[in-house]
Amino acid sequence: MAGKSGRSIKAEQEVSFKKLILSWEGALFILIILLNIFNASISPSYTVTNILREMPKYLAEILMMFPMAYILVLGDIDISVGSIVCLCATMTCFISNAGAPAIVTYIGCLAVGLICGMVNGAVATRFPELPSMIITLGTQIIYRGIAEISLGSGGSVSFNDTKKIMPLSKKIGPVPVVLFVVIIAAVIFTVVLAKCTFGRELYAIGSNKLSAFYAGVEVQKCRFIAYSLLGLMAGACGLFLTAYMYGANTTTGQGFEMEVIAMCVFGGIATTGGKGNLIGAIIAGAIIVLLRIALGQINLNSQLILVIIGAMLIIAVLIPGIQANLKARRKLKQAR
Amino acid sequence: MKRKALSVLLSAAMTAALLSGCGGSSGAASESAPAASESAPAASEAAPAASEAAPAADAASEAGADAAAQATGGADASGKTFAIVVKSAGNAYNTKEEEGFKEVIEAAGGTVVVKEPEAATVDAQITAIQSLISQGVDSISVAANDENALQATLEEAMAAGIKVNGFDSKTNADSRMTFVNQAGTQEVGQTLLDAVYDLTGGEGQYAILSATSQATNQNAWIDAMKSIAEGDSKYSKLELVEVAYGDDEPQKSTDQTQALLSKYPDLKVICAPTTVGVSAAAKVLQDQGSSVKLTGLGLPSEMAEYIGADDAHSCPYMFLWNPIDLGRLAAYSAIALVNGDITGAVGDTFTAGDMGDYTLTDAGDNGSEIILGPPFKFDPDNIAEWKDVY
Amino acid sequence: MEQKSLIKKITGSREALLFCILIALGVVVTILNPTFFSPTNIAQIFRNNAIIMIMAVGMFCVMLTAGIDISITSTLAFSGMSIGMLQKHDIVQSTLLMFLIAMGIGCIAGFLNGLIISKGKVAPIICTMGFMYIWRGMAYVVGNSSWASGEDVSQFAKFGKDGTAGPYIILIVVYGLFFVLMKWTKFGRKIYAVGSNAEAARVSGINVDNVLISAYTIMGLMAGLAGALSVSIYASAQPNMQYGKEMDVIAACVIGGVSMSGGRGTIVGTFLGALILAIVAKALPLVNVPSIAQNTVKGVIILVVVIVNVVSQRMIDKQNLERREM
Repeated sequence: MAGKSGRSIKAEQEVSFKKLILSWEGALFILIILLNIFNASISPSYTVTNILREMPKYLAEILMMFPMAYILVLGDIDISVGSIVCLCATMTCFISNAGAPAIVTYIGCLAVGLICGMVNGAVATRFPELPSMIITLGTQIIYRGIAEISLGSGGSVSFNDTKKIMPLSKKIGPVPVVLFVVIIAAVIFTVVLAKCTFGRELYAIGSNKLSAFYAGVEVQKCRFIAYSLLGLMAGACGLFLTAYMYGANTTTGQGFEMEVIAMCVFGGIATTGGKGNLIGAIIAGAIIVLLRIALGQINLNSQLILVIIGAMLIIAVLIPGIQANLKARRKLKQAR
Repeated sequence: MKRKALSVLLSAAMTAALLSGCGGSSGAASESAPAASESAPAASEAAPAASEAAPAADAASEAGADAAAQATGGADASGKTFAIVVKSAGNAYNTKEEEGFKEVIEAAGGTVVVKEPEAATVDAQITAIQSLISQGVDSISVAANDENALQATLEEAMAAGIKVNGFDSKTNADSRMTFVNQAGTQEVGQTLLDAVYDLTGGEGQYAILSATSQATNQNAWIDAMKSIAEGDSKYSKLELVEVAYGDDEPQKSTDQTQALLSKYPDLKVICAPTTVGVSAAAKVLQDQGSSVKLTGLGLPSEMAEYIGADDAHSCPYMFLWNPIDLGRLAAYSAIALVNGDITGAVGDTFTAGDMGDYTLTDAGDNGSEIILGPPFKFDPDNIAEWKDVY
Repeated sequence: MEQKSLIKKITGSREALLFCILIALGVVVTILNPTFFSPTNIAQIFRNNAIIMIMAVGMFCVMLTAGIDISITSTLAFSGMSIGMLQKHDIVQSTLLMFLIAMGIGCIAGFLNGLIISKGKVAPIICTMGFMYIWRGMAYVVGNSSWASGEDVSQFAKFGKDGTAGPYIILIVVYGLFFVLMKWTKFGRKIYAVGSNAEAARVSGINVDNVLISAYTIMGLMAGLAGALSVSIYASAQPNMQYGKEMDVIAACVIGGVSMSGGRGTIVGTFLGALILAIVAKALPLVNVPSIAQNTVKGVIILVVVIVNVVSQRMIDKQNLERREM
């Protein structure tokens, strides 16, 4: 387990300042500082108040990043989350418009998300031979499809009474409520992944499913929980989005899955499983969000922003390979 | 032990990152904040200066020297920033709107910010508008991807003192000051229905090929067509067999058109009130040599090949307004809002340069609107002339 | 020696099973709407889905190597927009040259994917996700906020016009070529070998990196070809064309029995998988499924087919095990 489980279990290695800087998280940390300086220099509007005001939509997305990291650590993938967000947002509006009080609306939304996640999990664990990508591809189409059907020919719905949803888009001073939720979620998810048995079991499964199974890890149960958690957090994302949009429509959440996966991968979580940690993912998420905000403020072509993010992603995933290559070469030299 | 030390170090680094991140950017904030507050009075100083300069410019134009000021009807926008948010990137129709908008604002001496969201979604538009609020622009003109979903964001913009007007695709009354409508909804419905009536010869089956199921404009026009048809016995022999949705994708529109043809052998006319749908349908009908005729709303440059009176062409005539003029009118109304010439109340009037005078009318949703004019008819006689324009 | 009974043959072969599903689907739709089974309709099914079917061939190669490519529709848009713009500005007008240019662009895109995935040891989904953003963005950039419409590409559109043989010929050539290539050539068997067990393939002297690069280059080539074809068939090039359709291509392969973990699948299966999806898309509007419910039905069908695949595979495995015990 120690071999492949990678960055987080470096118990045998020397802790030195140099190592820390050279680690992925260290590099990202330096990058984010440089990025802030860069951003502030290119955009005069890059101020804390403005960032906090532009952030909420991205923060809602980041809520899904934490459980997505779990799924990726397992070696699975879930591309249905964007559609779950859409379905949850839609149902929130319907529940609220049916006259339910605020608290019921919130719980209802989270419940819809949880159910969607559980369905994904149930299919994935009942048919472990099926790649998770294809299962969630199917449910991706189905969940958005259900939202489309329930939205009917109008294709969009809005709250009759926006007061119910208002508390979610409130700000405490300049700080949006969603930021506190994200911080709480970040702490819980990071601690669970790094310190709790469940988190370590995820790494074990991601590194080698079979040996994890023989070591007594309940593989399918863990996968089921991870999928359910992702569904739940997608529900939370949908809930916050409705608070900013006063409603939902058929394109809500479109493309979120790829953005969330990109943040995880940029943070050093491998899609092959068993590698990476949430600290890296959180910094990476912050980098992508801050960059998008700053580039948006200087009115760069929105498509060019995507090109830049795509290029960053590829470079980021290339670096570990190149590093390993260099190391191998150095070793070879020493051996000679 | 070492593992613990590492995690402690890491978390320390994280905290440091957070602190320094905040510190760094708040430092930047405090640096730029005075700068902003410095520039704000500067701007307000510039504003009277500009309005002082305006009569001077008028004098100059009287002397025949300042053609630009004449062209804009004396509308003055110097030192102000006007933003336009279209529905999505990479759409020729949107580009034409931007063109018109830019032309007017730049002639009036203002700065234009164009935002093309990466996809035709509300999410992308919210991001774009939030960014504009940060930049402190003076006005935002937006073609909304959803009628209600931008309300929270646009209210925030208006609270920040930004003038907001909609154009092309409506936002609800709470989230705009006024709306520049390309043509009255009833008028479009009536025009399209009359075209169907004409092409079918007064009776028979017709189908509608729309954009997405939630497209605000298309839904409003289709509803108008339906209600007019119900209310007038003249149209009683027309039968609307289906409203199909091509999602503004050429492939899906093609599939849907072919399905309509095979499902309804007696179909006489397809009406496609969307630029993508109408060109996809036109191609299908023309390639198959079908006897079904097409009308709808389309861009002349896209449709030139299919418009003709004979059987070799699938579309005898179609309609659209001038998207460049729509962009220009949006720009004039934005200038009027920023200069305080209009407030968005019904009955306000303003001068839109060489386009003439416009009056804000009741849009029927507790808000006001400005109507560009009736839809323009493109037929074999004038298509050659317009296809190079837009 | 032993003669397999017909029933065993059918239950034993995924292609035969798919074929049965296909027939059943056809019969059901024809009963519900007799106009479905007409020559024009069948021809339209192939023509309208030629793009998905052609890309499915490339995806099949990539998936055989246990990879995936989600950048294909972006590659398609980039190559399509490039040739669209070349025609709009009257730089090139030869149809053949258009195809070559589009395929060349596709090749380069595919080669880059292959290079990064094989030499850089990057997970395929991540590498292609990066390029998905990049090429799509580039499609907008080359278009400079405009698109090529009917009149700009009218000469080129003649190739894909309804009633011409062009798209069908390309379809037949591509499938014929790859049927032979994958079944009877060294290269085809190498791809299978790499997908089944890359380590074993390497040990037995196959240059795994080269095989990977060529698989992704083929995928890129197909995406470029599909880009040109799409411009020709729909007589327009838009930067957002075929957005999100990569999932349809992957679904076609998976329904056709191509394993995502590599090494398993056939070109015939891929073809049948793509055809099932095509028929579903064609049939749903014909049998009066309301348009807004069409996506849901499609999703359910994808899930059901892959689950049926798994269940039948389990049954086959069980049978084999029982036989061994005897």
